Amino acid sequence: MGNQPQKTYWRSLNELAQNEEYKKFAEREFPEQATELTDGVSRRNFLQIMGASVALAGLTSCRKPVQKILPYTRQPEHLVPGIPQYYASSIPFRGNLAGVVIQTHEGRPTKIEGNELHPESKGRTNSQQQASILELYDQDRSRNVRNNGSDNSWDNFVAFCNDHFSDTDRTVAFLSEANSSPTLARLRNDALERFPNARWVTFEPFNNESVYSGIESVFGRRLRPLYHFDHTRITLSLDDDFMQESDNNVSYIGDFAESRKMLSPDDEPSRLYVAESNYSLTGSNADHRLRIKSSEIPPFAFALASELSRKINGLDAYSGYTNAFNDHSWIRVLAEELVAHQGNSIVTAGAEHDASVHATVAAINLALGNAGETVEYLEVPHLDATDQNEAFHTLVTDMNAGTIDTIVMIGTNPIFTAPADLNFGEALKNVGTQLHLSHYFDETSKVSTWHVNRAQFLETWGDGYSWSGVRSVIQPVIQPLFGGKNEIEFLNAVIHGTDESAYALVRETWRNVFPDDFESHWNRVLHDGLQTDSRFDVADVYMVDGSAEIITTYLNESTAAFSDGIELVLKPDPKLHDGRFANNGWLQELPDPMSKITWDNVALISPNTAEQIGVPPARKFGETRQQVIRIQTNSGRQTEIAAWVLPGHADRSITLYTGYGRQQVGRVADQTGVNTFPLRTSSNRLVQQNIEVSLAGRTYEIACTQDHHSLEDRPIIREADLQQYRDHPTFAQDEVYIPGTHGGEREHPLSLFSDKELPAHEPQWGMTIDLNSCVGCGVCTIACQAENNIPVIGKREVRRGREMHWIRTDRYFSGNERENPKVMHQPVPCMHCDNAPCEQVCPVAATTQSDDGLNQMAYNRCIGTRYCSNNCPYKVRRFNFFNYSKEYLTSGDDPEIIQMAMNPDVTIRFRGVMEKCTYCVQRISRAKIETKKDTGDSIKPKDGTVKTACQQACPANAIQFGDISDRDSRVSLEKSKDRNYMMLEELNVRPRTSYLAKIRNPNLDI
Amino acid sequence: MSQNIPMVPDNQLVKGNHDFASLTKLISEIPQERTPLWWYIAFGISNLVLAIMLAMIAWLFWNGIGVWGLQQPVGWGWDITNFVWWVGIGHAGTLISAILFLFRQGWRTAINRFAEAMTVFAVMCAGIFPAIHVGRIWTIYWIFPLPNSMQLWPNFNSPLLWDVFAVFTYLTVSALFWYMGLVPDLATMRDRVKGRVSKMIYGTFAMGWTGSNRNWQHYEKAYMILAGLATPLVLSVHSIVSFDFAVSMIPGWHTTIFPPYFVAGAIFSGFAMVLSLMIISRKLYKLEDIMTLDHIEKMNTIILVTGNMVGFAYAMEFFIAWYSGVEYEKFVFINRAFGPYSWAYWIMITCNVVSPQFFWIKKFRRNIALTFILSIVINIGMWFERFVITVTSLAQDYLPSSWGYFSPTYVDVLTYVGTFGLFFTCFLLFLRFLPMVAISEIKGVLPQADPAYYRAQNGNTKSNK
Amino acid sequence: MAQIFPVWVNDIPKRLQLAIILVVTAIIFGFWYFGSPEYLEVGYAPEQPIPYSHSFHAGELGIDCQYCHGSAWNSAVAAIPSTETCMNCHEYIGLDLETTQPLLDSWESGDPIEWVRVHDIPDHAYFNHSIHINTGIGCATCHGRIDRMDVVMKKESMSMGWCLDCHNDPAPHLRPVEEVTNMAWEPPDDHNEFAQMMIEKRNIDAPVYCNTCHR
Repeated sequence: MGNQPQKTYWRSLNELAQNEEYKKFAEREFPEQATELTDGVSRRNFLQIMGASVALAGLTSCRKPVQKILPYTRQPEHLVPGIPQYYASSIPFRGNLAGVVIQTHEGRPTKIEGNELHPESKGRTNSQQQASILELYDQDRSRNVRNNGSDNSWDNFVAFCNDHFSDTDRTVAFLSEANSSPTLARLRNDALERFPNARWVTFEPFNNESVYSGIESVFGRRLRPLYHFDHTRITLSLDDDFMQESDNNVSYIGDFAESRKMLSPDDEPSRLYVAESNYSLTGSNADHRLRIKSSEIPPFAFALASELSRKINGLDAYSGYTNAFNDHSWIRVLAEELVAHQGNSIVTAGAEHDASVHATVAAINLALGNAGETVEYLEVPHLDATDQNEAFHTLVTDMNAGTIDTIVMIGTNPIFTAPADLNFGEALKNVGTQLHLSHYFDETSKVSTWHVNRAQFLETWGDGYSWSGVRSVIQPVIQPLFGGKNEIEFLNAVIHGTDESAYALVRETWRNVFPDDFESHWNRVLHDGLQTDSRFDVADVYMVDGSAEIITTYLNESTAAFSDGIELVLKPDPKLHDGRFANNGWLQELPDPMSKITWDNVALISPNTAEQIGVPPARKFGETRQQVIRIQTNSGRQTEIAAWVLPGHADRSITLYTGYGRQQVGRVADQTGVNTFPLRTSSNRLVQQNIEVSLAGRTYEIACTQDHHSLEDRPIIREADLQQYRDHPTFAQDEVYIPGTHGGEREHPLSLFSDKELPAHEPQWGMTIDLNSCVGCGVCTIACQAENNIPVIGKREVRRGREMHWIRTDRYFSGNERENPKVMHQPVPCMHCDNAPCEQVCPVAATTQSDDGLNQMAYNRCIGTRYCSNNCPYKVRRFNFFNYSKEYLTSGDDPEIIQMAMNPDVTIRFRGVMEKCTYCVQRISRAKIETKKDTGDSIKPKDGTVKTACQQACPANAIQFGDISDRDSRVSLEKSKDRNYMMLEELNVRPRTSYLAKIRNPNLDI
Repeated sequence: MSQNIPMVPDNQLVKGNHDFASLTKLISEIPQERTPLWWYIAFGISNLVLAIMLAMIAWLFWNGIGVWGLQQPVGWGWDITNFVWWVGIGHAGTLISAILFLFRQGWRTAINRFAEAMTVFAVMCAGIFPAIHVGRIWTIYWIFPLPNSMQLWPNFNSPLLWDVFAVFTYLTVSALFWYMGLVPDLATMRDRVKGRVSKMIYGTFAMGWTGSNRNWQHYEKAYMILAGLATPLVLSVHSIVSFDFAVSMIPGWHTTIFPPYFVAGAIFSGFAMVLSLMIISRKLYKLEDIMTLDHIEKMNTIILVTGNMVGFAYAMEFFIAWYSGVEYEKFVFINRAFGPYSWAYWIMITCNVVSPQFFWIKKFRRNIALTFILSIVINIGMWFERFVITVTSLAQDYLPSSWGYFSPTYVDVLTYVGTFGLFFTCFLLFLRFLPMVAISEIKGVLPQADPAYYRAQNGNTKSNK
Repeated sequence: MAQIFPVWVNDIPKRLQLAIILVVTAIIFGFWYFGSPEYLEVGYAPEQPIPYSHSFHAGELGIDCQYCHGSAWNSAVAAIPSTETCMNCHEYIGLDLETTQPLLDSWESGDPIEWVRVHDIPDHAYFNHSIHINTGIGCATCHGRIDRMDVVMKKESMSMGWCLDCHNDPAPHLRPVEEVTNMAWEPPDDHNEFAQMMIEKRNIDAPVYCNTCHR
């Protein structure tokens, strides 16, 4: 990013009048975008010209640039310029579809929201889904088919396939990323029929294979567990970060929050136990958390099972098994808890753990009677029959043996992500022909004979299943910007050598789903975004014969004694996963939920381990340079990466995230972080014991958005244990004494300023954030960024503490940093104070209060004294220190593409102005105008019609927004709860945004 | 303030047996003699530094505020620190010329011209920062209430707006006051310089001063009025500057003691600056007879007084912070002394509170070398005072999550250094072309000016002793 | 001693003072007047790619505004009609005119016609046509007698102050909603009563806070 000299300053106005932007666009297939685009662009240039000319003492006369309007030649029906349209579609990720609704302005997608009709999404999303809109407009995506690296055409590729695959005896290997598309499955069968020597391998660097294998070993079938956290009383997560790493995290977070909802002190929130090494997002929401090394998870699970076997039947295989954990305090307590809650408890384990763990977990859930109640085991038709990790292993061996003639790689990027010991790169050299379909011309494409540029889900047709088996169609909303093809078209070309459109192929598949009256069904699916009542069958499960033997072997294999060496744990990055999102600026700049680090991955270690290694256990305030450590696995692979002390991390354990350190992929991904995949081997996918760690003797600069991690005992986040809450329901309000408010005569303390009389016919907007629901995932930040045209400013600027996010999630540690500190998350947007300190001090009245109670910011009035920001006790204001929007929107070869992602209803902010959360005023205005037009006399939208971007995206449903002058609005109800409190109320700034205190539900026996 | 001692013959303000003629000669010769080499050198350097400042400001305008070290949460750093510091220095002038004038302090005559000049230039330097610290300099005129097609007014609630008016008024009045006092001396210059051009120039600014009774009558009246006007300004301008902080709600800023505390600090640093300059120039221009040790001692006394007032304010801040019982308030002050910025805090304490204590002792008060060093030290200390107030309060306010550590960039530093270029360029020009002591006024404090003088000496004007 | 200056110089200071006062006032006024949108914007009538005459189509033929600018009734923007809209008639008439040639070209090629924007408010101001029209603000109120313009000309300054004038006192500009496209509509004598009635009935309170237009 950086700050380039602003060349366009010197543009003559005539040149501007030429408006090359619209010219470019008249040629595109979507001329109608041009109008909006010239807007987006001219807005910036207009301001610049103003700026430059006045700043440079009237360099030019400030005549406005001539603007052109380009109407449609043929206007699509139903399209009214200026009114956004919404289409239901789905986002594929690791073979699971998430139901979404896509907002388009004049044909260009601008925002993604969850699909309310979808049983899993329920209108909610996660960060990756929100950010995928930016992926569409990523100008670094591959733009054409390439043959041995040089540009080529799709037709030639089809021709090549025709010719190459005419010989059907070739030994073809299809290597695909996880994919649930029925259409693809159909083609897959065609392929295996057509080529007798063909094989199909699914490769995902992080997958659920060992879950399926584990379940198979006890239930005899490869089944998919579906947890219902909303029905559970007790949840035990064994190193399973189901709020982050799970494929189903959106609905899992929602269900979990549901099970903890506190409408009144009498409610019974569920209780979450977590045993893990890394301090994960899930761990931060636990009532009790046990720091143990990941390598100790299996013995812990076995010990628990053997303890349970003494209390309930069904676990005889474990009876009498002993290891170091048997007399661990947790085992006893957990056993009691679980037994006490048979049928409404859940035990889960991290997907990457060995099959033995998952077998045990499955056995326990069955024995506890959770199976069928809180845990459902689903029959997933498109699952492969065998363990794909092994299948991949054998494939590579065969490739090395030279027995593979052609390999067809669909979407995956094994050169970057495959286990290092397999050395996939070498193996690939022994394959005659390599075909590769991918979004970017990535590591794998570079060494493939043919690279086909892939179309994104917003660009072509597709279909598939959600985690629980809801069948949906992927409906495109825009022509492929770079003329890519998706996996269906690609595979079809390979097999049949024809150039079928995905649309035709998908419809063909669905004809079998709806044999009669297809069109109406089809339209319904397109409209709803899913096939109603479609779901995977629930298998009824039982311990199959022989399961006992398998378990015994598991137990014998497991090491009862633990090493006290340092272990290394490799996990997918919470934001970039395996690196597929690495070129997404929004995700790169989103602070990690726990460490608050942006643009980098680090080696997470506990303070004690830090000392052991020789890294200072506590960071100096304001210190951005971190010690770099050298990590060497016992297989001799090594890497150097900055160390980061994360309180609460397990001792003698190091957690590394993957997905960083990619090369020559894109402007964003390149040179950010360290590639940690080289440390990963097929035998030790998750944990590697007894590694060597030493100081590299250099430091590395980290951009962390939160410098101080302690609350300093300030009543900013208020929380209580369930019992304390019941004894004292209003603890949150009473925690701080506010002069004048107590005694009840007055709602607020006295103020120097006379109370403003806001007109009664205006709605009075307010917001509540329920800290008891919020898990701290940070999707609100991305949703806000997408909605409000917030620029990406790059690592350097973030490091200087200039991040632009309008809503941030503060994360505090409390308790003993060395032991097991608690973590609290708190989303902080602008509080929209009635007595706003920022308003008093602005010399030009650029920020004032509106009649509907918003603290409004008039960008174009702002002269940038930063006084408002200084005087804001919540520090939610953001200043454009440089011309961030310009750098963001005009860098690269053809910036028009990213400009298309902008929301036309929100002003692009110029250098030197202050900005902040507006409560999504553009949505408010739209709603008020529509209401006025409908009712004729009212501008109070119905409760629930205005949703802020953060509220709409939040999977935990923690944010409520609405009219607080309406006593029955949802937000008023929230505010009337006893847990409701205002942050820093004692300052009498009278914030409109209030919080609901967090309630923890600890087990008093621990 | 210093007490009003009646003039006793053995302790005259002007040493060295001067009479009117010799004094006039001594002072008015300076602008006429050949420009000394050191002046050219000093002037060259000042211009260079000034050029650096201009370059930095251009760079700032071109790229944006980001070239400074500012960030969230520290929205004001060196810019406002420098502003307050320079305004503070700009205080001595008016104080000496107006307040001491009203208090009939004869000794002011030796230094008032000089101090007023310094005031004007210091305020000029100060004015730069509020102007350039805004994000969009080209819209800065919006802070003035001008008619416009947006039908918008500035926000009169904002201390920043008061500030603009306060500083502008102060600059105007001090400049006026300064010029006013110059008029008779300009006339003297006009009558003494050779060369038509210089005569014309001095003449123009002398505005036809003839020295007639009528002239003097008007002059004295006007001077008295301006003194009356300026006196409240001395107190008001820095009080209002302090409102920028006091009116806001950030712990460490939100303090009622600020106005008196800022004014005391301003006089403190102002006098220190006057001393630094005076001690050099009296040597360079051989004015020891006029700017005598007595003057230095008197000024040191004032420094001692104001220094202790400032020290008292520091202590008071802590007491109030504790007494208020506000957690955030307490934290800020403890954090100042022992937090990440403690280094700045202790520099401030040493320079501003400890160092002036030397002046309890008469020997030190009259020691030129020491006075010079301390005067510099004090101004360093006062800069840090402003830094501590501005930055440490912002860096760690209410929400620990948004705490941040501010560190300046080279642009911050060079811009500040650059302002000295501006200051000294102006000051050197002043030394070179204008009488640096108020000739007419200093004559007024000679024993000879006392009508009773001749009777006392039986008309014998040979010696004063 | 010889005088340096002639006597008349004595008057200079007085005159100077006067001059300064005058100059400063002149400068401020100059900016305020000549820099104002009223002076710079009003009367802007650029040449269009097609010499389309509103006075003919809207005036003589009496085509209603809605026919081409219908989106103004339910959207923020009053969109320029698509080539298709024009072709509804021009498929049959005016084919031979060389003025319609660009239209036909656009129809064949599919390239849009590049109209020049006349009423262009800054991009940080968000004006919504639909709410104004549905509240009974006539097209002519802001756009003038379009039906008498051969070349569309900007009739009002459309400066912020101009907007506020009406938002502060909407009454004089209100008219029956069904009259909004009536260019010739004149307020009747009992307009005030009508306006008051409208304001109460539809509880019209044109907001004047920043967010109304700026987001």
